[in-house]
Amino acid sequence: MTPPVNTFVNTFVNSPVASNEKLILALPKGRILSAIAPILRRAEIEPEDAFFDADSRQLQFATGDPNVDIIRVRSFDTATFLAFGAAHLAVSGSDVLMEFDHPEIYAPVNLDVGHCHLAVAAPAEVAANEDPQRWSHLRVATKYPNVTRRYFAARGVQAECIKLNGALELAPNLGLCRRIVDLVQTGGTLRANGLVEIDRIAEVSARLAVNRTALKTRPEPMNDLIGRFREAARAA
Amino acid sequence: MSDTLTDLGRRALLPAGLRDILPPNAGNEARLIEALMARLAAHGYERVKPPLIEFETSLLEGPGAVTSDRLFRLMDPMSQRMMGVRADMTVQVARIASTRLKNAGRPLRLCYAGEVLRTVASQLNPEREVVQVGAELIGSPTAEADAEIILVAVEALKAVGVGGLSLDLMVPTLVPAVLAGLAAPAEDIARLRAAVDRKDMAAVEELAGAARPVLTRLLEASGRKDAALAMLAGLDLPDEARAALDRLTQVTDRVAAVEPTLAITLDPVENRGFEYHTGIAFSLFARGVRGEMGRGGRYRPNGDETGTATGFTLYMERVLQALPSPTPRPRVYVPYGTSRDEAAALRAAGRATVQGLEPAVDPVAEARRLECSHVWLEGRAEPVDAEQGTRDTP
Repeated sequence: MTPPVNTFVNTFVNSPVASNEKLILALPKGRILSAIAPILRRAEIEPEDAFFDADSRQLQFATGDPNVDIIRVRSFDTATFLAFGAAHLAVSGSDVLMEFDHPEIYAPVNLDVGHCHLAVAAPAEVAANEDPQRWSHLRVATKYPNVTRRYFAARGVQAECIKLNGALELAPNLGLCRRIVDLVQTGGTLRANGLVEIDRIAEVSARLAVNRTALKTRPEPMNDLIGRFREAARAA
Repeated sequence: MSDTLTDLGRRALLPAGLRDILPPNAGNEARLIEALMARLAAHGYERVKPPLIEFETSLLEGPGAVTSDRLFRLMDPMSQRMMGVRADMTVQVARIASTRLKNAGRPLRLCYAGEVLRTVASQLNPEREVVQVGAELIGSPTAEADAEIILVAVEALKAVGVGGLSLDLMVPTLVPAVLAGLAAPAEDIARLRAAVDRKDMAAVEELAGAARPVLTRLLEASGRKDAALAMLAGLDLPDEARAALDRLTQVTDRVAAVEPTLAITLDPVENRGFEYHTGIAFSLFARGVRGEMGRGGRYRPNGDETGTATGFTLYMERVLQALPSPTPRPRVYVPYGTSRDEAAALRAAGRATVQGLEPAVDPVAEARRLECSHVWLEGRAEPVDAEQGTRDTP
């Protein structure tokens, strides 16, 4: 029998991070929030009311779980907060995780919401009159320079990426470039701007991603949250 | 005015990822390295010092292959051959062991400390020059060797005062051994690999086919050692994977027996960043440090198909983050004209002396200006209190 005093000592020394330190969950701003809200509710980490108030200037919010706080950041910043360990968990699009492919980040749960895909698109007449086999160098406007470079490099093509943060569909028509790599949901925006999809790079959906160090140094609360998100996503 | 500023900026600017380390940090780092090296030496690990630059071909052998895309290269004007600035020291120590120390008795225990350079910096790891301290245990394939290298690393870190240590143990060969048994196209295996690396349970369930029960169990088992070992015990595995897992259990038990209070987690599926390892590998974490402080594991040394070695590398920048700032050594301002014997006695008592080179009107103010903690006045070392000093001298 282990004397109780030793048990206490072991438990104490075994928790490298104080167990009362809150876990930070980073959520992306924007439309995806409404799709995530039911999952948060089922996972019992419903945010305080101010979180859903678009006018609120607050950036960090309490939740139904006293050990979890939520921060609201731009979608591309979720991966940055996570990689640095400033957030322990994040809801990120798989597009963002592909762009910041980093061994410090795991993506254990597919939340199965926010479905869309990453695609290469070009003006209809460009797409109709060319042979992709002959490409050697292309200029591509995109929010995803790493994904774009990797995709074209795998096809033996050197892609010169122009990083834009929005309104990509304008770029080909105004002569900035002839091709774009962007997220496509319904294809409506592409059609409205006279563009057609040339190739689909990857299917995209929202993921629960976690920081490696947090998972390894605080396995119990992290695995518990991962399990709750997994159940919540399944119940949808 | 603005010209001077620009000129100062131009002279002070360093290339990205390189920095000057100032007092007291440079001194702290040097003391830390010596304290760690002393622990390694006490366990019979002898220090070697390879050169900063050597031929590219030798730097890219064996465990060095992964550094290929981050090696600074330059042409040797003497031999007309390409040289590289080391991006890792393990490969250099392995080279020494397999050449100059080929006939030294095995197992061979070597340790090292030094700067390494890499061409690429990321937002997450902006430093291009980092300081490594490490040890290699060459020529023993045993579980005892795996455990010894981990225990020596843990002991050295504890000895320098790192608190809240946490050890993550893995076997990077396990998942490849499981996947080798799958009759699936290479492209599917690669997708499955990527899913396992990201711990993406849903994708693994979808892609794993016949390996699904084993892979999902391996994913779920990641966590504290006792729960993990219990989950892994009854798994039906191919022989090679079984052997890898048995070794993980043995090493975990040995380490836990010596360090019963160490937090140990197991991750049977980790592989990213550990690709060159051929057996047990590990990461070390500590409270208050955002990434790992060190890592290590078993690998195959350069140009030696049957050889085996295990070792670890600690990153000094990270270890320093885990440590409280040390109490600075008292600095005593010794006014001009004080006898050399008095100053020598202060140094013998463990204080640093700062010699006045010309008479000072106000020795206390002079001591403060030179960032001394004390001033030598009338045969006594008086503390220099900044605030009190200004009040006392009208």
